[in-house]
Amino acid sequence: MTAADGMRHTLEDLLARTADRDRRAFAELYRRTCARLFGVCLRMLREREESEEVLQEVFTTVWQRAASFEPARAGALTWLIALTRNKAIDRLRQRRERVLDDPIDLERLPDERLEPATEVESSQDYARLANCLEQLEARQRRSVREAFFSGATYKQLAERCQVPLPTMKSWIRRGLMQLRSCLES
Amino acid sequence: MNTPLRDDDPELRYAEYVLGVLDADARAAVEREMQESDAAAATVAAWHRRLLPLAAEIADREPPMRLWQRIRTELRFDPRDRQPPGFWENVRVWHWLSLGAGAIAVACILALVLIVRQPSAPSVTYMASTLAQQNGNVGWTATMDISNARIIVVPAAPQGLATGRAPELWLIPKGEKPIAVGMIAADAPITLPLGPALLARVGPTAVLAVSVEPPGGSPTGQPTGAVIATGTIASAGSLATSIS
Repeated sequence: MTAADGMRHTLEDLLARTADRDRRAFAELYRRTCARLFGVCLRMLREREESEEVLQEVFTTVWQRAASFEPARAGALTWLIALTRNKAIDRLRQRRERVLDDPIDLERLPDERLEPATEVESSQDYARLANCLEQLEARQRRSVREAFFSGATYKQLAERCQVPLPTMKSWIRRGLMQLRSCLES
Repeated sequence: MNTPLRDDDPELRYAEYVLGVLDADARAAVEREMQESDAAAATVAAWHRRLLPLAAEIADREPPMRLWQRIRTELRFDPRDRQPPGFWENVRVWHWLSLGAGAIAVACILALVLIVRQPSAPSVTYMASTLAQQNGNVGWTATMDISNARIIVVPAAPQGLATGRAPELWLIPKGEKPIAVGMIAADAPITLPLGPALLARVGPTAVLAVSVEPPGGSPTGQPTGAVIATGTIASAGSLATSIS
């Protein structure tokens, strides 16, 4: 944390003050996190208008439910990103008829460059996760990553990757369990 | 890394929930468990801590400026708190404009012209609408600034909004279904963007209408509540040019 950061309120403070109906704190929280969260919406929904609607929903929920933030369980940014992903995933599930995404060949899908594009809550957490992802078998790693960034269901992922549903489930489940043991070792 | 890999690990569903691969029903089931069991909520939180750092790979993207205003409107924040106040957000401008309720539309157009006009400005087109309520009173006035693809909606003294309900503005082109323009307010002027579909249909044959909806807007994309105000659209021509 730089000296300038030290002068600022932490996101945790801002969330706590938002819970106390402090509109200035809420405005500051929006200013500090809206681009981060809008990036998450756009990545998952890939439609600007829907992303704007979801971000609006996120921040009205933050205003109404900031008191449910428990700092002991997760940092403020993690809480906000979790809320944003949940709303974006709910929105994805509401889409009934969807043109199928282009098929993906997991064997050929290049691993994206594993590096943070932005300020992270803890670069240490990111580095550990990236390191554990690296240790997964390639198809497991790619399906976990694809699932995380797309918010797609098992069924959609299996269709897009053109593999049987049980295969996709097995890749992702094994990937998740290995990630857990790697992160806890 | 030698932990046995069990597909029936009870934690899996929580991990799958956080990763985002569950369908809507399975997600709802996990969310119920989280509300009923502290252990379930704690397990989900642990998976958030494990997986969410990956979001750091997603690049920041700035949302449009109007989004903050939409959030404030939905939360019914006092418009006087706005920061930083731009011209259209300046409440005094609107108070002044609202003095003569009958002449609001004209006043809006004149204000727009005076502000927007530049010596070499090409023709700037405006349209205006007075949205009347069933009792004949003016509910809102709307000015469509075609060149800048936006509509400014100013409340006069709208009636008929129940607590917890919000007014939504619609454009109804002749012979077509209503198209949502956006959420407006009963107590503050709102500027909304006009997308290409709306811009193409704004004109003397179309009508503006306000319906009563849940605070986030109609869930169906079509008006679901009572229509409490309507108004025809009059072309105001290219005033900037004609006045300058």
